[in-house]
Amino acid sequence: MNDTERVIMSLFDYVVDRWERLSLSAWLHVSEVVQATLLAAVVGVLIGVAVYRSPAGSAVATALASTILTIPSFALLGLLIPVFGLGATPSVIALVLYALLPITRNTIVGLSGVDPAVRDAARGIGMSRLSVLTRVELRLAWPAILAGMRVATQMLMGIAVIAAYAKGPGLGGEVFSGLTRAGSANATNQALAGTLGVVILALLLEAGYFVLARLTVSRGIRG
Amino acid sequence: MADSDNVSGVEIQLDQVTKRYPGSREPAVRDVSMTIPAGKIVILVGPSGCGKTTTMRMINRLIEPTSGTITIGGEDALRLDPDTLRRKIGYAIQQAGLFPHFTVAQNIAVVPGLLGWNRSRIRERVDEMMDLVGLEPADYRDRYPRQLSGGQQQRVGVARALAADPPVLLMDEPFGAVDPITRGNLQDELLRLQTELRKTIVFVTHDFDEAVKLGDKIAVLGDQSAILQYDTPEAILANPADDTVAGFVGAGASLKQLTLLRVRDVEYPDIALTAVETRDSPGALRQRMTEQGRTYALLLDERGRPKRWVHVRDLSSATSLTSVGRPVGDVVSTQSTLQDALEAIIAEGGNAVVTGSRGEYVGMVDIRTVTDAVQQLREEHGDAPEPTGSAAS
Amino acid sequence: MSAATDVRAFSTESGSRRAERVRLLAQPAAVVVLVGSVLTWAFARDNDEIEAQSINAATLLTKTWEHVVITFVVAAVVAGVAVPLGIVLTRPWARPAAPLFIAVANIGQAAPALGVLVLFFLWTEWEGLWAAALPIAFYSLLPVLRNTITGIRSVDPALVDAGRGIGMSAFGVLLRVELPLAVPMVLAGLRTSLVLAVGTATLAFFVNGGGLGELVDTGYKLNRVPVLVVGAVLAVGLALLVDWIGAVLEEYLGPRGLS
Repeated sequence: MNDTERVIMSLFDYVVDRWERLSLSAWLHVSEVVQATLLAAVVGVLIGVAVYRSPAGSAVATALASTILTIPSFALLGLLIPVFGLGATPSVIALVLYALLPITRNTIVGLSGVDPAVRDAARGIGMSRLSVLTRVELRLAWPAILAGMRVATQMLMGIAVIAAYAKGPGLGGEVFSGLTRAGSANATNQALAGTLGVVILALLLEAGYFVLARLTVSRGIRG
Repeated sequence: MADSDNVSGVEIQLDQVTKRYPGSREPAVRDVSMTIPAGKIVILVGPSGCGKTTTMRMINRLIEPTSGTITIGGEDALRLDPDTLRRKIGYAIQQAGLFPHFTVAQNIAVVPGLLGWNRSRIRERVDEMMDLVGLEPADYRDRYPRQLSGGQQQRVGVARALAADPPVLLMDEPFGAVDPITRGNLQDELLRLQTELRKTIVFVTHDFDEAVKLGDKIAVLGDQSAILQYDTPEAILANPADDTVAGFVGAGASLKQLTLLRVRDVEYPDIALTAVETRDSPGALRQRMTEQGRTYALLLDERGRPKRWVHVRDLSSATSLTSVGRPVGDVVSTQSTLQDALEAIIAEGGNAVVTGSRGEYVGMVDIRTVTDAVQQLREEHGDAPEPTGSAAS
Repeated sequence: MSAATDVRAFSTESGSRRAERVRLLAQPAAVVVLVGSVLTWAFARDNDEIEAQSINAATLLTKTWEHVVITFVVAAVVAGVAVPLGIVLTRPWARPAAPLFIAVANIGQAAPALGVLVLFFLWTEWEGLWAAALPIAFYSLLPVLRNTITGIRSVDPALVDAGRGIGMSAFGVLLRVELPLAVPMVLAGLRTSLVLAVGTATLAFFVNGGGLGELVDTGYKLNRVPVLVVGAVLAVGLALLVDWIGAVLEEYLGPRGLS
């Protein structure tokens, strides 16, 4: 057996051994990220709809969104701990905040990218303001919104690992125990299980988004 | 040839040139042989996909021929280093291909720079080229391409192609992306440049009218760049080699021929009865008209320029020739094309006044003049068809 | 670049020029106000002995400096690796390999930053600057690599054709036409990478790489909120500043003549 095989075998044994705990962590990780993304999608789309008609509003909203996106997640998490304590609350708040940004930005980009002629035609054939928005504009902006959700999810998968620092749930715990037990037999296995677990889950979610896009994006505008 | 003294172009010869792309069974260009005479504009014209651009791009080896030889000015082009070769061949393409991050001056200076000219020589040359294509150097030198109109960009493209004074110029649909009026101006401009520069120009287009206007010779190409006819525009219009060429020439070949002939090439007899409005009296003119049995006379000003037509019956009551008759409408000069003349003849109701270089009356043309000229062209090219390109190869 | 290109991936660009203007002006002002007021508060209050060990000019400067060094070492490594690699991968003979490298870089970014950092530490048993900088660089490589490739590929083929046609060598066209025109995209990628780097550098202390994250950790572990807040706010300020520098570079380093 060469080194690589040994590493893989040892990891395999480790995963089989701790399957119950790992799968629970994985489940919590994904559910935390997905919930945060959905919550952020609702809020982000609402914000987008509220501001997209005003150029100044859009500029401020996107500027604000992309500015907050530059904030290091560990710093934000640190700031949330004194306010919300430890556990799931600060992690979920941090995750929702980060997810808001790409989704809001893409909603605005998507909505303002709708061809004015299409909007005009919809009004012209007698659709109300609301049905233009829900039946025409949002449907045309949907691919962009979905792309924003995808980016958000990918980002959150990594940030949720850091959130384990504030005792948030998920696979981040494995990485942290790996770090604190550096030198012990299973340290690398733990960190590797946590990291690879996140990569695999991220790929699965990515596939989920692909399917979702196939099912929900009108065939007329699919790229 | 009498006018060959100041020709700066060189002859290009293609011999059995073939381009075969890997993976495709039929060659894109098959066995093309043609001679492009020095100092002439030769147009490669044909439907899209016929291989005309491929053929042209093999001359500067942007595409390497699979087989065959190409000589430029007696030199085997395939033996030269491609970059060195291209620096001696001007290249202008559709939408100019100007580098957007270079100023106009920097764009024009590229090839002289590659050839290692010194700065002051390059600067002088840039200004000279801008003057040549009609862009004021002081105004345009430091602009970026996006600050120019499409036509101006095209001019810079031509200036860049000519900057190192190459004997050969390759132009790939250079005026394809501009509006028709600008295109017309650019074409006139190119013809004016060519009378000065006398380069060998290979020009690719799919617009047959453009080919007729610009070409000294036109090669009509079919599939795989097969030369269907290679001749002067007059000959191709008068006598298309086959149905494909005829189809490509399109309807209205006779009308297109009229753009090739100028009034100076045909008879414009001095048949009008003329009088100078300030010098002759109505009575005397009326008498002359009656003697010669004319109903109309042409009134000229003191410098002999046509002013008005006057009917014999208007003269009986007139006291001076300056106050009678109706103004002459369209006149044509000896420089005008027969197409313009035909337009004037129709507008004027049967015939048109021809003026000389200073605007003076020199004669008249009518519909017969035009039809005779077309007839004569037909006979010249029709009875004894000249050898075409494919026959010559 | 157009909104269409940057909605598909992580990027801190706003996707609108107007929003960029707002940020160009507002961001440094926000940094000064935020950092200024937090520091004034932290230094003015009655700090106990433990707090004073962290909240003093020397410590704050050291930690900030460590953070800056990590960020710029990462940026240098990323620019030094990703730009040449991107150039090579757009050459015709290397094009088939491009998807492979992009895939690897994609996985690098999809992997959690902390995981990459910890694994690198466990495998190499290194500590300090390089133990932090190298995995962070790997993690931040993708934006520059992707944008270099996209930037060069999106150069109008007619310009490359024109360049070759008038006698520029392939290398000359790369140097004088393709690269200058790709610069805006490369800079945008570099800005995104810088932001990723400055953010991830807050995790460097986990492998003894120092940086402002250490203050957050100290404040948390010793239950000293002011230390935590100062560390976090300085990290936020630094991130905003680095992003702003990136925006300024984009604004003024791009080739002139492009709209």
